[in-house]
Amino acid sequence: MPRPHFAPTLSLMALLATASLAAQTETRAPAKADGPIAFTHARLLPGGAAAIADGVLVVHNGRIAAIGGADTPIPEGASVVDCRGKTITPGLIDASFRTAANVADANEQGSEITPQLRALDTLDPEDKLLLRARAAGVTAVHVMPGTRSVIGGLGCVVKTAGSEPRTMLLKEDATLHITLGAEPSMGNRAIRGGEVDSIYYRRPTTRMGVVWEVRRSFFDAKQALETVAGAPQPADPGTVVLQKVLQGQLTAVTTARSEQDLRTALRIADEFGYKTVLDEAQDAHLVLDELAAAKTTVLLGAPSASLVAGTGAQDGAEPRSATVAQLAARGIPFVITTGTNLQALDLVREAMFATRNGLSPAQALDAVTLEPAKLLGIADRTGSLQKGKDADFVVWSTDPLDPAAVAESVHIDGISVLAPR
Amino acid sequence: MNRCSAAALRGSLLLALASLAAATAAPGQTPAQDLLVRCQTMVIAPDTVLQGSALLVRQGKIAYVGDEIPAEAKAGAKLVDYGSAVLVPGFVLPPTTLGRERDLAEGALPFTPDLRAVEAFDPWQEELLRLPQHGVTSVLLSPSPRNLAGGLGALVKPGSETGGGRVVTPELQLALSLAQVARNPEREPTSLMGAIDALRTALQKAKSGLASGPDALILRGVLEGSRKVTVAADTYPELLGALDLAREFGFQPVLLGATEAHKLVPRLLEQKATLVLNPLRFDQPERQLQLPSLLAEAGVPFCFGGPAESLRLSAVLAVKHGLDRRTALTALTRTPAQTFDQAALVGSLRQGCGADFVVFGGDPLDLGSPHLATWIDGVCLLGTVPGNARKSKTEDAAAVAPAAGVR
Repeated sequence: MPRPHFAPTLSLMALLATASLAAQTETRAPAKADGPIAFTHARLLPGGAAAIADGVLVVHNGRIAAIGGADTPIPEGASVVDCRGKTITPGLIDASFRTAANVADANEQGSEITPQLRALDTLDPEDKLLLRARAAGVTAVHVMPGTRSVIGGLGCVVKTAGSEPRTMLLKEDATLHITLGAEPSMGNRAIRGGEVDSIYYRRPTTRMGVVWEVRRSFFDAKQALETVAGAPQPADPGTVVLQKVLQGQLTAVTTARSEQDLRTALRIADEFGYKTVLDEAQDAHLVLDELAAAKTTVLLGAPSASLVAGTGAQDGAEPRSATVAQLAARGIPFVITTGTNLQALDLVREAMFATRNGLSPAQALDAVTLEPAKLLGIADRTGSLQKGKDADFVVWSTDPLDPAAVAESVHIDGISVLAPR
Repeated sequence: MNRCSAAALRGSLLLALASLAAATAAPGQTPAQDLLVRCQTMVIAPDTVLQGSALLVRQGKIAYVGDEIPAEAKAGAKLVDYGSAVLVPGFVLPPTTLGRERDLAEGALPFTPDLRAVEAFDPWQEELLRLPQHGVTSVLLSPSPRNLAGGLGALVKPGSETGGGRVVTPELQLALSLAQVARNPEREPTSLMGAIDALRTALQKAKSGLASGPDALILRGVLEGSRKVTVAADTYPELLGALDLAREFGFQPVLLGATEAHKLVPRLLEQKATLVLNPLRFDQPERQLQLPSLLAEAGVPFCFGGPAESLRLSAVLAVKHGLDRRTALTALTRTPAQTFDQAALVGSLRQGCGADFVVFGGDPLDLGSPHLATWIDGVCLLGTVPGNARKSKTEDAAAVAPAAGVR
């Protein structure tokens, strides 16, 4: 394959871009590019629209100013980057991303039910997993509290570059994270005549207990809601969060890996009348009918992995490579993520793996760009290459689903943010 | 005990401690005769350096400096002449437990803002009495960062004529903590998310007026700006959590530790934060050693945290890595005093301040300069008094403890 090249004048620009990247990395406050930049002769995969074999992408003031074929007008004074032989896609979005934050910091163990806690408080813009994901083309991530609590707290959606978490925010209180299965009860102990000298002598110690905690929490929140309707009463911050889920104002994301946990997640959501997204649904292939009926979205954590996800890997799921294609065939909405699976590859490689198991390339790319954007409610800002959207995109050395593909430059709000590999 | 009786008891304890403090500082315990201290270089404050000058000590305080000393006062004073030595204000050690974690970390509860470090003050504590060996003349005894809200710190001094330490200011800053040590795996909160939420909830309750009792009173002081706050925080998310809380509730933060402060310098500047940095060591990464000079260039005030024995070394290493000497000396003296509103009492040799000073054979930021003497409240607690055949009270002890550094 011929090595892509920049025009001589652009080499200087690339150098400057590298310099500004260095400055950004140090100051954590990327400056906006001054004039428009046109990426020409690229193969464009816009997401949600047909591919453009020889396309032009114009970026100005952090947004996409124009996208189209080779005849797309290039604004006067624009810097031009020749992308011959390269492919440009929207920035990837990981809808279930695990940061490098200490497990203890992302999991409050003082209580099993902490709906008001915020994953945003644990976020470091220089988190090493975040930087790694960014270098591999991920421009936005959904970060949730850990999976050691039954109801862990609020997830947030952030871009993968910015001076501090608040400036990276796409959506602050985006989701409520619930975890079913063996993990939340890990470490809890039953009182058997001994001395109670730890907070871990408590429920739940079983799967039943975990479900009981979820049911009790939503039951109490519902009761409080009914009381409030009669005579307004202040509710504690945790209850307010649960009530938002019950009222359809906040999306619940339930981590449920095994078949029984998936069924339970759907059953409880149905019982209390809220919608839930299913996270790390490794046994989704066993509950296809139920998923289709519930019209819920499935987050397929690391479809390449044979390992059961989670810090304990005790959920007894049976991951299958073909699950992704089965979901597509049944028309069940799904999103490819990396999640907590220790075997997870870079997000783009997970999409590549999905194509090896029957997914079309367009479906695979949409599953890491447009679909997560829609699910997280950020599709008006990012997730596809459309005029007016944020200029979050990746220039790949070749087709991103090619095993040899490398993210040559990653742009967030039009700024090149690729960290040195 | 209910809250009211607890408050009443606390009030009476306060009176008792105040009278104890007054008693320990009684004039009878400081030399009755004025002292005229002379030496070649006299650092009154980091930006006021006098050459071949003198200061007059009366009743343990600085009475006059340089040309201001009246001739009759000079005539009646006892001369202490350190010749070519360098005299600097005594070092102020920022919040520390002085190794008394078991007395200053209330393990049963994470949130105890109404506890007072002064209740655990032991005037004869060995760690306290050793401080003059390291040039430290006053210290902020503080509850441990193991508690989310540990309680109130106190300014104490390590020595007096009686030999024991004394309390200078019994109630100072509120010690909060988001540091790793505050997240106890055996009690709530166990996580950073939980710790931030717990502090936010407590401050919100105090703000709303719903909370009552001594702890709410202290938090209200924070919200009104009358109570200083320290927050122990090292990593980026901890520091950001502290800054977010400070911004939300309108207090000016003093951050203890601040290992990753380089990541958020603009925010530190914007919120007028002061940092108490972890001690520097030879084996630390370059970035850590350069942090003081980075902060100084940006204009973020900082001082060095304990232990006392590393205070001077931290300043020396910071200078080695680009910090100017004046700022380094400020970080050892005036910054910690100003940060906790104690600049009228300690941290410089201006009129009215305690006569707390350290005498070195050369530049104090050169580790080769011998440490000749430490004076607190006009009493020589370490080293020799020139022209005085009688050894100082602690000189014998220093002589048998080579680590004292007195040559």
